[in-house]
Amino acid sequence: MNSLTLALAVFLLVNLLVALVRVARGPTPADRLLAALLFGTTGVAILLLLGDATGAPALVDAALVFALLAAITGAAFTRRAWREEAPVDDDR
Amino acid sequence: MKITLAAVRAFLWRGTLFALLWWALTDGRPGSWAVGSVAVAFASAASLRLLPPVPTHVSRIGLLRFLVFFVHQSLRGGVQVAWFALRPRLALSPAIHEVGLRLPAGISRVLLANTMSLLPGTLSVELQGDRLCLHVLDASAPTETEVRTAETRLAQMLGLTLDTR
Amino acid sequence: MTIADWASLVLLVAGAAFFFAGTVGLLRFPDVYTRLHALAKADNLGLGLVVFGLLLKAPSAALAIKLLLVWLLALAASATVGFLIARRARRHGIEPWRAGDAE
Repeated sequence: MNSLTLALAVFLLVNLLVALVRVARGPTPADRLLAALLFGTTGVAILLLLGDATGAPALVDAALVFALLAAITGAAFTRRAWREEAPVDDDR
Repeated sequence: MKITLAAVRAFLWRGTLFALLWWALTDGRPGSWAVGSVAVAFASAASLRLLPPVPTHVSRIGLLRFLVFFVHQSLRGGVQVAWFALRPRLALSPAIHEVGLRLPAGISRVLLANTMSLLPGTLSVELQGDRLCLHVLDASAPTETEVRTAETRLAQMLGLTLDTR
Repeated sequence: MTIADWASLVLLVAGAAFFFAGTVGLLRFPDVYTRLHALAKADNLGLGLVVFGLLLKAPSAALAIKLLLVWLLALAASATVGFLIARRARRHGIEPWRAGDAE
């Protein structure tokens, strides 16, 4: 079934590329931040599937790091992104 | 830090979790425990310092019920949004709804806001005090009922009492 | 193929289908809030299905734990990031699209 997971990984990669082109076009900065979500889900799924297809378990570790970074950078990035003009104080 | 029974219990419990994590990360290789035992000890100590043990009453049955509720609802949420995306005519009628929360202030409200974003048709957009603002895909959906259900499940899991006025 | 293989295959393909629906939603939905709905729900379900599909063929318990950990972290990440993006967008006065508005 390795060819199946490889095919699915390629399919998701195409999905990710199309989605990235869409979010890069914006129009608002909030739209571009959606890229953080895309890497946290689609990117992680691609790594997991590739790990299975190629029999390289290290890719699962890479996926783990991706998921961890998605959680950390996402929150930090969003809090900082528009800080200079934030109308309301952060309540956490 | 004062060494209390609660701290010792938390240390052992967290240490066990970190050890399990280390075991999984290293694929159970026995040679890794020379480093692993030190890492687990430091991680447990650091976690106690950063997040001191608080008396919580996480109920196991509540946790299980919440998980079942969550998995079921996120399945519905995914199917619903996929249906909205794939049907030929775009039939969205979004709106912003504001709901007063009955959960006590603190982390449980943030947890609720995050949970609502994964449930069908709702996306948390603002949380201030006991007011939660949600963006909904379907303005006519019973949003408040859905928040109440999620609140009840969360409160059961965390052993909290809801403020019913 | 065993039953587990078949179940795994169904879960993986279903997962990819939800990722596809999420991308279609991202392309078709009219504003950042509705696009967040698409990503937060469809993609998360897609990842969940892929994780459980791979879990069925996981050769070791260690790998299974890692897969579950990936899923939990990704869920936490999307829920938090989705909420934060929506909150920032609203505080910055990005008005939600309403039925009847031009796309």
